[in-house]
Amino acid sequence: MLDAATDAFFQIAQFHRLLFLVGGVVLGLVIGILPGVGGLAGMALLLPFTFQLDPISAFAFLLGLAAVTSTGDTIPAVVFGVPGTQASQATVLDGHAMAKKGEAGRALSAAYVSSMIGGVVGAFFLALSIPVLRPVMLYIGSPELLACAVFGISLVSILSGNSALKGLAAAGFGIMLSMIGADPQTGDMRWTLGSIYLYDGLPLMPVALGLFALPELCDFAIQRVAISRADPQSTRKGMAQGARDALRNIRLVMQCASLGTVVGSIPGLGTAVVDWFAYGFAARTIKGARETFGRGDVRGVIAPESANNATTSGALIPTVAFGVPGSASMAILLGAFLIHGLVPGPQMLTSNLDVTYSMIWSIALANIFGAGICFALSGQLAKLATLRYTLIMPTVLSIVYLGAFQGNRDWGDLYALLAFGVLGWVMKCLRWPRPPMMLGFVLGAIIERYMFISTMRYSWEWLLRPVVLVVLVGAAIIILQPIVAAFLRRRRTVGPAQSYSPGLRLTDLFAGLMIVLVGVMVSMATSFQDGARLGPMIVGCFTFVALILVLADQVMHRLPKDTELSVENAEEALKGHMDLVSSHDGLSPGTVVLRGAIFFGWMLGFMALMALIGLIPTAFVFIIAYMRLENREPWKLVLPIALGATLFIFVVFHVLLAIPWPPTLLGTLLPWAKAFPSV
Amino acid sequence: MKLRKLLGMAALATTLAGPAALQAQTVEEFYSGKTVNLYIGYSVGGGYDTYARLLAAHIGKHIPGNPDVVPINMPGAGSLRLMNWLAEAAPKDGTAFGAVARAVPFEPLLGNEAASFDAKEMNFIGNINAETSLCAVNADTGITSVDQMKEQEVMMGGTGAASDPNQQSNILNEALGTKMRIIDGYPGGNDIVLAMERGEVSGRCGWSWSTIQATRADWVTDGTVNLLLQIARKPHPDLPDVPLASDLAETPQAKSLISFIVAPQEMGRPYVAPPGVPEDRVRALRDAFDATMEDPDFLAAAKETGVSITPSTGAELKEIVEEVYAADPETVERVIQIVR
Repeated sequence: MLDAATDAFFQIAQFHRLLFLVGGVVLGLVIGILPGVGGLAGMALLLPFTFQLDPISAFAFLLGLAAVTSTGDTIPAVVFGVPGTQASQATVLDGHAMAKKGEAGRALSAAYVSSMIGGVVGAFFLALSIPVLRPVMLYIGSPELLACAVFGISLVSILSGNSALKGLAAAGFGIMLSMIGADPQTGDMRWTLGSIYLYDGLPLMPVALGLFALPELCDFAIQRVAISRADPQSTRKGMAQGARDALRNIRLVMQCASLGTVVGSIPGLGTAVVDWFAYGFAARTIKGARETFGRGDVRGVIAPESANNATTSGALIPTVAFGVPGSASMAILLGAFLIHGLVPGPQMLTSNLDVTYSMIWSIALANIFGAGICFALSGQLAKLATLRYTLIMPTVLSIVYLGAFQGNRDWGDLYALLAFGVLGWVMKCLRWPRPPMMLGFVLGAIIERYMFISTMRYSWEWLLRPVVLVVLVGAAIIILQPIVAAFLRRRRTVGPAQSYSPGLRLTDLFAGLMIVLVGVMVSMATSFQDGARLGPMIVGCFTFVALILVLADQVMHRLPKDTELSVENAEEALKGHMDLVSSHDGLSPGTVVLRGAIFFGWMLGFMALMALIGLIPTAFVFIIAYMRLENREPWKLVLPIALGATLFIFVVFHVLLAIPWPPTLLGTLLPWAKAFPSV
Repeated sequence: MKLRKLLGMAALATTLAGPAALQAQTVEEFYSGKTVNLYIGYSVGGGYDTYARLLAAHIGKHIPGNPDVVPINMPGAGSLRLMNWLAEAAPKDGTAFGAVARAVPFEPLLGNEAASFDAKEMNFIGNINAETSLCAVNADTGITSVDQMKEQEVMMGGTGAASDPNQQSNILNEALGTKMRIIDGYPGGNDIVLAMERGEVSGRCGWSWSTIQATRADWVTDGTVNLLLQIARKPHPDLPDVPLASDLAETPQAKSLISFIVAPQEMGRPYVAPPGVPEDRVRALRDAFDATMEDPDFLAAAKETGVSITPSTGAELKEIVEEVYAADPETVERVIQIVR
């Protein structure tokens, strides 16, 4: 085994192969930075170019790309609050909060160092586990997958922070959203409203960008100042501190990297939830995390970043050992396997062991190169946070739009982006935790699927399998422990009774609307076919009840206005809120709502213009209009930015990704105009 | 909706203004300097995508005027979205055609309301590989023949009501009296195979012979699995000893039920152009397709990629579709009940 590992190292260390690896890394970083464009799109793009290469170079190229997208995606997550891929959603919470405090450099550098260690540790684990890989994986059946997903859902109790009811309601709603589309067993259409877009279910990226990216951008537009208001730390000092932070928390890095490898190896989990798993894990195990997480704690960056780079190694496990792709991008790697005449399975761990080891080396080296490149650049990147909003916002927003669109290449993506943008912003303003919703959204479908398989195959006896028992007990502890602790605390400290003055506020409207929406969805679910109805009904009724309890709790436990506004109370309420908080300092609620409406008005305008003249010209016009109308930026800034951004968009989305653009009014009326891209 | 209507009217106006100019043009004149888009109803990386990219790389030089052929992915609803789009919205001048799932042309017949196209109106261009689908079980079940399957219940993996593994198992249960019990809901075929390996299920249907060869050839040679029957029009040359499903049917009704699962296999990897494309261009595309299937460069690339090539012509595909649509309504009703 050691021989094979060293052989593989010398094979990969040949100059031309390293060149391919670095090429993959550079592309992977760029793709990671672009919101919505993930490793999947990148590998799809590269796959045809690898046909002519020898297998080791081909895998170095592809894995180099796959391994570092979750290093690059940290940059927009920290600097703009826009997750670059699904793997950096959790990084946004504390990373972006740090950037707002002027610590972007520290956050980025802590992220890179933990990404690098996490990625290398993941590769190391994979290398070590090769002899036991197949037996262990063969032990993991549908019941075990189900138990892992249930365990994931139990993290909702941590990620809800101190608003447990709202968290439960959000998670339930997330699960309901995951059930939209053709039911995996009967094929019955659930909540598709007759639209073929929803046939395959809501795609992840528009939802994630809507929930996390748009609210940040919206608040950015409302504040009308640079992201970082505090004096920026001297960048070099910040970066040194970030690296020290990562090293000081090496235990956390190791734990999260192992977690990332394991989660990555479970098909269906992977990068979409691993960051939340790690974040929840850190929030649960670190002392005092309840008070600091979500408000710029560097450990809230280190945990998800060390985990998400380790998932690539994890995802390689089922791909190599069984030919079952551990993630969407691994499905493409599987294609490369077959093209190069390699058959996933036992041979990869025996006669083709050197190829397997060369892949592991590729991942490890890619992580080192990737973090190195980013580290060298992060000083410059951190400065982006100090720019005026009108300089960055329109470009970032255009790219978010295109990123959301490139997934399914459908208008539905943009509607979903907008709808979840509004939902996310309202949730953020009203302090409803968003992470539980995301967790429910990703895990809900998996739970339903494997619950069905497990009970059908084993009836209830699946509960008795040893791994299932252990994992489920773990989940029960995670759920119950905070409840018990809170109960004990309450019994010990009998403070002065709070006086409440029940009453309705305008903000209760949101809970009310959610109740109506979920109620309508439940009533629609009654007409689903037998097999397709059970899950939606159970979750729907649960969510309905949770929402009513939230509303009742809000209305009944309302503090008198003067106490609510006092500083200590506000501070107290923030503690343990595991999500970013809108801080509209000195702005009246009227202004906030007005400016929020203007922001979403811009988005509507963008979409209307896109229907008229196509996406690429729209990006150009939008950037100019936004910069001129919002802040009268001088033309000598406006034109280069608009031209540069449009050209970039043209090359990436039109030339490289070959997106089929939807028909436009202009193109239909004047067919010659179709000569322009995207018209 | 209003906007769409407006767009439709505008499109109509432009097509009405154009035909005189179009007719004067030869196919070669039309295609030279143009780009033909080959739309793929799936995302990158799967079988349909691999075949389509292979075709896109070679068919251009066989179309008169040598247009560029660009593969474009338009995933969604198991390629149903693409088929609807080809029927309704795609340009009908011969610059767009698509790769769709082999079973999609039959969706309207089987009562899928989301399928809004008329399969008989579509212009089928050709199929790269007629598939042979198999039912196989783990050898440790002791089952070696279909007759045993009629006595003994076997757990077979499924990937959703409309998928090949489910439809084949369900139809065979009805037509042959086998007792396959479907454990349903696996995300994909690979996942069923893994479940077979760990003993969670005992077998599966809807397993292409080409996939078995590429990924689990050793299971067949070392006797880990038993191949019980094949679903195809004629036996695959590699598999002379595996019975054909239709040969086992004892009644005409059983035979006609089985023809519903055979037809998609014959469609294989179909390519479809929108309805209403000028006839001479459809002919040009079909000829180019057939020529590509014999192009040594194409065949060499296919060999390198590891995909098998057993083509059929567009006219043959059209025949298959018309045959299935001509089935008597009772059988269709029966099939709908079984598979939905």
